Amino acid sequence: MSALIRVDLMLREAVDTPYSDLVTRPTGAAVRDRVLTEMRDFSDDDAQLDFSEVGLMDFSCADEVIAKLLVAILEQPLQRLMLRGVHHNHADAIEHALARYDLVIVAIGIESPEPHLLGSAPDDWRDAFRMLIRMGRAAAPPVAEALCWPVPRTVDALQGLARRRCVVAYPDATFDLGAVA
Amino acid sequence: MTRVVPVPQSLDHLSIDQLAAGIGPWPPEQRLLVDAHATEWASPAGFVALLTLGQALAEAGAAKPELTLPVKPGVASYWAKVGLLHHAEPLFDIHGKVSKRGVETSDTLVPVTIIRNAADVMEIVGGITQRATKLLMDELELDAKVVGGFGQSLSEACQNIVEHAGTAGWVAAHVYVYRKRLSGRKVAVIAVSDAGIGFRRSLEATQGKRFGDRWGDAQALETALIHGISRFRDPGRGQGLTGIKRYLTRWEGSISIRSGTARVAIVPPWDDEPPRFDGLPWFPGSQVTIVIPGKEPAE
Repeated sequence: MSALIRVDLMLREAVDTPYSDLVTRPTGAAVRDRVLTEMRDFSDDDAQLDFSEVGLMDFSCADEVIAKLLVAILEQPLQRLMLRGVHHNHADAIEHALARYDLVIVAIGIESPEPHLLGSAPDDWRDAFRMLIRMGRAAAPPVAEALCWPVPRTVDALQGLARRRCVVAYPDATFDLGAVA
Repeated sequence: MTRVVPVPQSLDHLSIDQLAAGIGPWPPEQRLLVDAHATEWASPAGFVALLTLGQALAEAGAAKPELTLPVKPGVASYWAKVGLLHHAEPLFDIHGKVSKRGVETSDTLVPVTIIRNAADVMEIVGGITQRATKLLMDELELDAKVVGGFGQSLSEACQNIVEHAGTAGWVAAHVYVYRKRLSGRKVAVIAVSDAGIGFRRSLEATQGKRFGDRWGDAQALETALIHGISRFRDPGRGQGLTGIKRYLTRWEGSISIRSGTARVAIVPPWDDEPPRFDGLPWFPGSQVTIVIPGKEPAE
């Protein structure tokens, strides 16, 4: 199961504003706290932050809402976080913020249903991620064959993605995108 | 005794230097008369700088300065229209015919507006979004990607005041035609100014020792703008200016920051402003000017 959290509603609950823009650090910190509380209330392993009704997001808010939230979640054992409804200006700010922490997240844009990586990820991770989208749940050897890579290189990329919780690693040594797919 | 501070005929982010040169020792012992009678044009950077001077004088406990309005027809009424005179009235004894015309926002991106806290920044960004988007798309023919960056840059520039200045500040943003520098292309100009502690004092405790004798206003500006370093140790801090810089680099925009006695700029190919200028006449606080060029006309 994946919990869907509407960021515009978190904003309205956290801050008294008639606007849908995520701007300023205090606003970002308040929204992050609200989202964390919401995630604690869910028992689901996955949460998706829905940005589709959010207006502008500035760089400071991207740091407070996404980067610091991801840092907090990576310290917890199970939960995965993904983004959906991401507009171009959100993507730009999120990419900029995550690069500072060497973090990466899975996002679905408002204009395209295909998941993609936002933030800091080696090219191998991005190639392996795209291949996994095409193949669905798969082990490293068929992904390696499709990419014309050695298996160890593919395993490194997929495990790197799994460590960042961008893909799910299963006990049978297969990987997939989990609830976002 | 009164000291006359001449306002240049054309007041923009560069000719603030001439305004600063007239101020003399700080805080002034004499009452200042800010004389704009011969001023024919002022950019948003000029508007917010004038208010910063008035605010800094008030906060320094100096005598309330006088402001002589431009005599050229239409100039003072334009200053009223963009909101300058509304905010200047508490800070200056104003001489000249003050237009009773209210602030009009129809063809400005952001009228002169005070920034005191995060709520003000939210109001400025939220309040302008629809109108600014239309103006930027219609007048500058910018696509949505570029327009989003305008709002982000506006927000971050305003937040710098709230986070670092230690006092209130001002913002204004207008659309202009750059006839000489960009052969008639339109630009959006965001100007933000505060009367606060400036970049050198803001960064001194964490960065000053690294530079020893080289530490000063210009070094502080380069530390913040070029190297993206903030006074906070949090790795997420300093993102505002680096985000603005990244956006402007992508779309051939410029950013120029003046603080104390220095100015540092990220200069696009179309501009000839020096990237670093030290030893300028001192002016209170910090002044940030961002220029976003409109679409290049098809040949």
